[in-house]
Amino acid sequence: MKLAVLILEDEPPVRDALERDLAPFRGAIRIEVAEDVDDAWAVVGEIDADDDRLALVLADHRLPGTTGVDFLVQLLADDRTRAARKVLVTGQADQADTIRAVNEAGLDRYVAKPWDPDELRAVVRNELTEHVLEHRLDPLPHLAALDAARVMVLLRDRGDR
Amino acid sequence: MSAPPTSRPRVRLPRPTRLQRGGLLVGAVVFLLPLVVDIPGLDPAGQRMLAIFLLAIVFWVTEAIPLVATAVLVILLQVLLLSEQAILPGSEEVLTSASVFAALADPVIVLFLGGFLIADGAAKFGLDRNLAAVLMRPFAGDARRTVLGLMLITALLSMFVSNTATTATMFAVVIPILVALPPGKARTGLALSIPVAANVGGLGTPVGSPPNAIALGQLTAMGEQVSFLGWMLLAVPLMLVVLLFAWWFLTRRYVPPGVPLDLELTADFDRSPAARLFYVVAAGTVTLWLTEPLHGISSSTVGFLPVVVLLATQVMTGDDLKVLQWPVLWLVAGGIALGSGIGASGLDVWLLGLVAWESFPVTAVVVLLAVVGLGLSTVISNSATANLLVPLAISLAAGIGTDPTAIAVVVALACSLAMALPISTPPNAIAYATGEVDTRAMASSGIVIGAVGVGLLVFGLPPLWNLLGLV
Repeated sequence: MKLAVLILEDEPPVRDALERDLAPFRGAIRIEVAEDVDDAWAVVGEIDADDDRLALVLADHRLPGTTGVDFLVQLLADDRTRAARKVLVTGQADQADTIRAVNEAGLDRYVAKPWDPDELRAVVRNELTEHVLEHRLDPLPHLAALDAARVMVLLRDRGDR
Repeated sequence: MSAPPTSRPRVRLPRPTRLQRGGLLVGAVVFLLPLVVDIPGLDPAGQRMLAIFLLAIVFWVTEAIPLVATAVLVILLQVLLLSEQAILPGSEEVLTSASVFAALADPVIVLFLGGFLIADGAAKFGLDRNLAAVLMRPFAGDARRTVLGLMLITALLSMFVSNTATTATMFAVVIPILVALPPGKARTGLALSIPVAANVGGLGTPVGSPPNAIALGQLTAMGEQVSFLGWMLLAVPLMLVVLLFAWWFLTRRYVPPGVPLDLELTADFDRSPAARLFYVVAAGTVTLWLTEPLHGISSSTVGFLPVVVLLATQVMTGDDLKVLQWPVLWLVAGGIALGSGIGASGLDVWLLGLVAWESFPVTAVVVLLAVVGLGLSTVISNSATANLLVPLAISLAAGIGTDPTAIAVVVALACSLAMALPISTPPNAIAYATGEVDTRAMASSGIVIGAVGVGLLVFGLPPLWNLLGLV
């Protein structure tokens, strides 16, 4: 079982930049991209079919025909996506959108464009760590993408074998 | 605001691997074989126990079902085949169902329960981390000295806390300095030193690791008492020598001399009344364990004391009980049940009669058992290995005319010296997952340390024990 990160961004250069900045995590986690909401749900289906686990969604706000915030709200209604951590990566969400994202979608983090790559990686690492801690997942297969010192607590009650 | 719908965790059944499917099939076959084929020289009860034993071997080696599931299966099968509740006709009852189920609350399980609760309390109040911080101070400055300090402290904690929890605690402390070191050999050495010390530290006390409990439980069942202090006298000399050797080996190989390394740990002891009460109870329990010759209260009874006091004072609560490592306790219980079943059914006598053991030198048999224990527990669970080998070793003791305590302890300790692969022990798996240690480095250090450990265990310890009059 791999942890998956879904990047939802309609503009190809921005999507590529996000994917490139997260490239150091490849190997430890699965990184998927989607250009619109339909595509994103198809990716969710693929992740689920492979027995992987959607752990984090990085969504742009302004998308063709819909908004990233709407998508994040939808995520709460689906078993496969409810547990995922949610991050908006945008420069275009106004106050009302942001309030809705926090109150109705359970937004975990807001990253303003343009982002700093190191900061983005730190956000991803932190959100994945929170996800693993919250759901008490086995951290070892994903350790390279996590804050290793913080997840050690999960291993304490594993016991000798 | 729309509240998110309540989430119900989805339970996904893991897909069995090929090894597991094979294990299920082979397990079923070897289980049925002694039940349908008449085995000369083995009476019906012994045949049924042989069926259970063979099933346990296959399931524990292949992990066809989880380790703890095999342990409870062993208990259930003994009740269904060998007790007054047997469902197959035609065998005398060699066990009572109550005595089989009693393995789940064997005195050694009670001892472990106390050990686990103290270990979990130490984590709850941050005692383990704070002790590590205080004890680390004299070792600061140089990387080789730091590694020595880390290994001694890890081993010390691991004598009372599970090897896995100790490794997790120590890595939580060490990872920040690990990433501060330049990538390369020194990091590997540091990251290897912790699982090695945790594995070796587990040898030191009865509560140090499950194989110790398995040996103790089976010895106690046959009337051989080994006290807490008695175990330490048997095992601590080996633990210390292997630990120092491992430090020497790892630092010569990976840590150049004179590398400055400052591990500044701040101790911040919890001074709340609950924490203070916990410190007193933990210190009192350890003191009582170490002074059994003075007061004669058995280590199991002493182990139950912190359970009662910590729950009564609400320093620890039902929630703390819930998160204890019950699978580990039940895995040990399965081994204890298996051992007493083998004894009660007469299977031990039959197994002994298979080979003319008396024609072999005692040392050869001991070497064989220790090497099999080391090899098997390198690839499968240490506890499962001990569950399978300790009853065999105790059965053999009579045949080769040696002391059952010595041979059971040797086998249990050999199971804990296996650390050549990431899968050998959970501490190894943690170190490997950090990315600082590759399989080659782990294998080379694990083989050298394991071989030296088993060599000392087999050739050095028994003469020492004889000299000291311990066995």
